Amino acid sequence: MSTAQTTTSVLSERKQARREQWRLIFRRPSFIVGVVIVLVWVACALFPDLIAPHHPLNYRTGKHLSPGWGHIFGTDSTGRDVLSRVIAGARDVLKIAPIAAVLGVFFGVILGLMQGYLGGWVDLIASRIVEAFLSLPVVFVALLSITTLGRSNLVVIGVVATLFTPIVARTVRAAVLAERDLDYVTSAKLRGESKAFIMFREILPNVSGPIVVELTVRMGYAVFTVATLSFLGAGPPPPSPDWGTQVSDTYNNLIADFWWPTFFPAMAIASLVIAVSLIADSVQSVMEGS
Amino acid sequence: MTKQIATSDATTTIDTTPSGKPVALSVEDLEVVYTVRGVDRVVLRGVSFAVASGEAYGLVGESGCGKSTTAYAALRYLPMNGKIIGGHVRVGGRELTTMTDDELQQFRAHEASMVYQDPSQALNPTLRVGRQIIESFTLLGHDKKEAASLAIDALKRVRIADPSRVMDRYPFQLSGGMQQRVVIAMALACNPKLLVLDEPTTGLDATVEAEVLDLVRMLRQETDAAVLLIAHNLGIIRGLCDRVGVMYAGRIVEEGPSAQVFDDPRHPYTVGLLRSLPRHGVRKTERALATIPGTLPLIGSDLPTCVYVDRCPLATELCRTEVPPIVPIGNNGDRFTRCHYPDQVVAIEESVASVNISVLAPSAENPGVLELSHVSKTFKQRNHSIPALVDVELDLALGETLGIVGESGSGKSTLAKAILGIEAADAGGSVSLDGRVMMGSTVGRSANDKRSMQMIFQNPDSALNRSWSVRRILMRSVEKLTNIKGAAANERVEQLAEHLRLTPRHLDLKPRQLSGGLKQRVAIARAFAGDPRIVVCDEPTSALDVSVQAAILNLLADLQTEQKTSYVFITHDMGVVRYLADRIAVMYLGRIQEIGPTDDVFNGPNHPYTEALLSAIPSVDGEAVSRIRLEGEIPSPANPPSGCVFHPRCPRVIPGVCELTEPPLLEVAPGHSMRCHIPIEELIELQRKPTK
Repeated sequence: MSTAQTTTSVLSERKQARREQWRLIFRRPSFIVGVVIVLVWVACALFPDLIAPHHPLNYRTGKHLSPGWGHIFGTDSTGRDVLSRVIAGARDVLKIAPIAAVLGVFFGVILGLMQGYLGGWVDLIASRIVEAFLSLPVVFVALLSITTLGRSNLVVIGVVATLFTPIVARTVRAAVLAERDLDYVTSAKLRGESKAFIMFREILPNVSGPIVVELTVRMGYAVFTVATLSFLGAGPPPPSPDWGTQVSDTYNNLIADFWWPTFFPAMAIASLVIAVSLIADSVQSVMEGS
Repeated sequence: MTKQIATSDATTTIDTTPSGKPVALSVEDLEVVYTVRGVDRVVLRGVSFAVASGEAYGLVGESGCGKSTTAYAALRYLPMNGKIIGGHVRVGGRELTTMTDDELQQFRAHEASMVYQDPSQALNPTLRVGRQIIESFTLLGHDKKEAASLAIDALKRVRIADPSRVMDRYPFQLSGGMQQRVVIAMALACNPKLLVLDEPTTGLDATVEAEVLDLVRMLRQETDAAVLLIAHNLGIIRGLCDRVGVMYAGRIVEEGPSAQVFDDPRHPYTVGLLRSLPRHGVRKTERALATIPGTLPLIGSDLPTCVYVDRCPLATELCRTEVPPIVPIGNNGDRFTRCHYPDQVVAIEESVASVNISVLAPSAENPGVLELSHVSKTFKQRNHSIPALVDVELDLALGETLGIVGESGSGKSTLAKAILGIEAADAGGSVSLDGRVMMGSTVGRSANDKRSMQMIFQNPDSALNRSWSVRRILMRSVEKLTNIKGAAANERVEQLAEHLRLTPRHLDLKPRQLSGGLKQRVAIARAFAGDPRIVVCDEPTSALDVSVQAAILNLLADLQTEQKTSYVFITHDMGVVRYLADRIAVMYLGRIQEIGPTDDVFNGPNHPYTEALLSAIPSVDGEAVSRIRLEGEIPSPANPPSGCVFHPRCPRVIPGVCELTEPPLLEVAPGHSMRCHIPIEELIELQRKPTK
């Protein structure tokens, strides 16, 4: 009877703790700001036609009109509305960056689990490869692969995911090392579980915290990397409103004081990266606080 | 609600303690809360006590009772989320609760010291020991040279024979016992008025623990510091403290001279606590251990009146409506209990279940289930080989419990791993089940072998997958070990849970939602999922509270009787092993030094190591034991001594013999063998007890 009572109180305690944890994350202003900014860009990416005042490519008016009432962000060298182009440009980066980050985390988790759990030669060889990868400058490798493999979203996704995999693997490996010597793993071995079962069913759920944190952090880096690559010419070619492409297309005109066609897409990149980082920070501190 | 308590007569203890000496530490009506996720949770509900200069005061209680919080609060050293919301703490007449940070820092530097549980965390691993001790003196204003010579004196004071050599070492180069001596030396540097010891020997081995306790006992006579000792081991408190306070749920429920409190407890909780210990050599065949019904209240629970009311056999309506008064006991004014019915406490009946434990000793009709023959295990580390297990011969009968005792490095865990195949034993030895030699490692063993041998671990937090529900944990083991699937498996899980007194509700919880005792029940249920022949128990109760331990030990004894399971029971707790084991093997540096029926091992004659081990146990009954002190440290298994591995520490060493050849394991009485050069007749003579 008394045990049943305890169970009930423990149960409600647990529920309450979880609720309090959520309340805690929503009480963080940085999290709210991050989520609002990301949601605005997601809306832009989903419904650019509804939100943008003009068509990003076809609409033409006076060239280099400075920001004002007619065109809040001004117009560019060919007379296109910068605001509409910034809104339409959200789609490319929001399509590519999350897919790349998710793929990078996915393969990183598999590699990290194998390294951490199997250890021995697998870990030794994989660790050296991981270290070799980590020593390469990301942008350089990305450009190199894109010039050899050709310019396409698929290549960008593949390259970014490949570059993220070892970074994620290293985090996951460390988390797995802390788990593999716990007795529940010994118990699984004693009842004859396979290595794959132990890795993916027993250990994986217990390292989900660091993986979620890693995913949000990688998301921020992915946005930045994808934007950088398209700035360097690996993204969609110029008429496209992609943010990186816009910046690279227009920054030559900065010298003539036409700052707005460059400034606004750059700010768009910055706002998205910062917003994702704010979310990542909040998730991390709440995860680690519990 | 807590304000009512303030009306108690605790204020009488301000100037002198019951012993009549001047008070060094006085705590009055202390109330402390921890803020967890924005909610204040009460941990101390009006704690009052006083400790005189030169006196040692012990606080005992189970986990979560607030004894550590009280110790930290005595130095106003609470964690960030802890807060004193009421009451006073005075040291040497100075109020701590209102001190500024600067005053507090000065106070802690000059007037109080604390010794923590884990000495390896109290010392900086990157600095030499000498520098750290010297620093504690330079902080007090001594110059470098003075400090250096004071440091040497301080180390001599804690009986370190070669201080200058120790000072040149890094902490990791010292053993645990030596590290704790260094920490104590540093704590005494400022000649504190108050010395707080928080479980100072919990991480140490029995023989080393005995040494540190002896040291503390000697130092007590040399300083006039007030000592506040926190320990969960009642024997330590009894041996070291003049007075003891028994804590439960943030309140001192009984206080008095240690011997009186432990011999004649006057609070229902103290009675329950003492009765749940396996004491006076009680065995499982005699009776089950007493348990305290219910569970410890959660931290921060609302307990408006008596804190123990929900578990108390004497509780009445009065206990639920009124805070119990502080009732003095005896006429000396040095004892009190906090109970409405102090006179009825002595009459609480020991409601102990009768037992029906049958012991199946190995015999011709009861052949061994498990047999180990020449089992050795050598770990390879770079170019070293570390013999962790050397030529172990064992057998285990059906339904028998074999206790394995030994200190760290004795190889008892390695033995468990070799039996289970977690670490395959070296080639040349064999582990046989029912007369059939099994493969060395678990992976190579048949499904039936795996099913036959399971394990219960020390720490249920580590042993249960925290992302899985209890049902999933048990279900997986049932399916994997018995090949029963689906609904039938689920039925079996529910039977198993019921058998271990887990309710169906528990099945859908995650391990962390359960208390320590319930978690261990789940772990036991998992081990029994496939009706094992042999269960290896690795210190299954050492992470649990005393009252929970009793229930788990009873459960293990019941399961064994019903299912004729054989146990290999690893422990360092001599009381527990005496209660549960039919035979005991004593290990030292990977070798079995003595093995025999439990009564023979406890009554002697013994191997000199067993003799030392038995005499090192701090007993709650305060029996006068002539302690055999072991010299030196436990040697590293990587570099074992020549001849008999115990000879460098053996008080009965025969020079010219013991260091040359290792004695064989010889049978000295039926079923009782030991590894010693001293002839058995001589051992009997040497170990003859003065009385009995």
